[in-house]
Amino acid sequence: MAGLTIRSVRKNYGPVPVIKGVDLDIAHGEFVVFVGPSGCGKSTLLRMIAGLEDITEGTIAIGDRVVNDVEPRDRGVAMVFQSYALYPHMSVYDNVGFGLKLAGTPKDVRDAKIREAARVLQMEHLLDRKPAQLSGGQRQRVAIGRAIVRQPDVLLFDEPLSNLDAALRGDMRMELARLHKDLDATMIYVTHDQVEAMTLADKIVVLDGGVVQQVGTPLELYNKPANLFVAGFIGAPNMNLVAGTVDAINAGELTIALGATKVRVAIEGATSLKAGDAVTLGVRPHALTADASGPLKGIVQLIEQLGNETVVRVKLAEGEEITAVLPGQSGHAVGAPITLAFDPASAHLFGTDQLRVG
Amino acid sequence: MTSAPAAQRQEQRLPQTRGSRKSRKAAWFFVAPAFAFYAAFVLVPLAMSFYYSFLRWDGIGQARFHGITNYVTVLTDPKLLQIIGNAFQLVGYFTVIPVVLGLAVASVIRGHMAGPFGTATRTILFLPQVIPLVAAGIAWSWMFANTGVVNQGLRAIGLSDWARGWLGDFVWALPAVGIIGAWVLLGLCTILLVTGITKIDPSLYEAARLDGARPWHEFIYITLPGLRQEIAVCVTLTVISALASFDIVYIATQGGPGITTMVPGLEIYRLAFAHRQVGLASALAIVLMILVLISIAPIQWFAREKK
Repeated sequence: MAGLTIRSVRKNYGPVPVIKGVDLDIAHGEFVVFVGPSGCGKSTLLRMIAGLEDITEGTIAIGDRVVNDVEPRDRGVAMVFQSYALYPHMSVYDNVGFGLKLAGTPKDVRDAKIREAARVLQMEHLLDRKPAQLSGGQRQRVAIGRAIVRQPDVLLFDEPLSNLDAALRGDMRMELARLHKDLDATMIYVTHDQVEAMTLADKIVVLDGGVVQQVGTPLELYNKPANLFVAGFIGAPNMNLVAGTVDAINAGELTIALGATKVRVAIEGATSLKAGDAVTLGVRPHALTADASGPLKGIVQLIEQLGNETVVRVKLAEGEEITAVLPGQSGHAVGAPITLAFDPASAHLFGTDQLRVG
Repeated sequence: MTSAPAAQRQEQRLPQTRGSRKSRKAAWFFVAPAFAFYAAFVLVPLAMSFYYSFLRWDGIGQARFHGITNYVTVLTDPKLLQIIGNAFQLVGYFTVIPVVLGLAVASVIRGHMAGPFGTATRTILFLPQVIPLVAAGIAWSWMFANTGVVNQGLRAIGLSDWARGWLGDFVWALPAVGIIGAWVLLGLCTILLVTGITKIDPSLYEAARLDGARPWHEFIYITLPGLRQEIAVCVTLTVISALASFDIVYIATQGGPGITTMVPGLEIYRLAFAHRQVGLASALAIVLMILVLISIAPIQWFAREKK
């Protein structure tokens, strides 16, 4: 296994830039998730690492070796595709062993490795079947088996769970986490599902418009989003973002005016903001509480009872709509007034340049 | 919970209802016109040919029952056996060349299908298919003539000794006819195979590249299995074209020189309408039909969906 270094990588399709200069260091054994909306370039970046797309500019190194001009087969990478890409006419056994066969691995060694991969993925009973005879989850296991059997330096996953139903996705997520632990492999995983990103990743790379927006651990991204895009993208439901202006600055705390409503926000360190500056206030729905003494007053627009918590959509007096996730089964009713509060330390502030303040 | 197959089995056991009998009648009603045409123009002539094959008849006068003599003649007469052999030799040209070239073209233009190169290639290769066979036969007769473009080309590159009247040569006439057939059928095979290759999931090729496959491996392990159905259709159509060929041979050589390019289709016509041996012609036609069926049966078996 080996780490990966990406330096100033760009990719253009004709005149259209898709990846606009990515720098990234992935350590050996890390589980890195590329996450972002559709069209952000995450799959393209993964395919460039795999060697399935040319690199317009920059370098990609696996271990100490720059692989820009190295054929996919010689890069020491294996990939699990969104469509599984299993060879339909081959049995599971032959699918898993195809790479070993092409590499000229002796039959007995090949057999042992295939059976070991099947054991790890609990699919020994499927070895004689054809892909058409397998369920989605089983196909995904076979695709993973085919990837791990060659013991590549880097394992790449391109939205591997997106074709599975929610329950199976949950199971496979856990299996992938277990596999990562067992194999101690460097894994790069592409998804647009932030739950997958948050639960699987050692490190998340958030991409948008071909640009890396932030790199960090799942909790770093959740707790300290670097900009408005990451703030809005990470976390479910999405962070509430409300436009306001700086009203007053005190030590370690700002007062933000949201129309006539004033709220307090704690900030770390010094700030260049001054009274009257436009800002965007970010508050996660889970940070809001129903509190009659709170500053945010509004009318309940929609209620979603999830059993263990209640999602409440509230229209503020200033006209903005925000979402609050309240614990338990809330007794609020649609059309009724509600007052919400939040801990000033849990709020986020973003300047007009969309970057985090404090 | 009842599983789907169990549900199907249960459905099969249900007694026929009045509704299902009615819908079956309706189905027959819709099939009837097509079946009537099929019976009139295929089944009845087939039955008549089978009947004629046991007769000695000149097509006009009194017919006499002749037993299996016509079949014995077809299967023992050296001339007729050579004619049947010629048809099988043509299979080599009509089938192998178009399918192999079609596969090669499909593999090469696979990645450029949507671009102008792919469109131009497909159009050019399909052109022979839209040219009438008679016109193709005449054009190739000119090209293979002593002063034709083939010999001009050979002389131009210093191979004058190779120049000859190809369609009049005892050795080269049959291969020359085979080349004409291959040219005509290449477009059909290419279009079928090019269309088929677009159905293959491109990620299979990418997965194979990552698995260590080289282009040859991709062809063997992905393209060929992925095109099994299309290859079977091409082989079936071209084998039938070769064994039942008539027009190209009739226009290009009329079966000559001697009987070196004579094929069963042309011989049936000649026996029935020139020699007035309708019974023998019918027997040859029936034998030809059986040979075609025997030839394509393994192809159909090869192409079946393996469950």
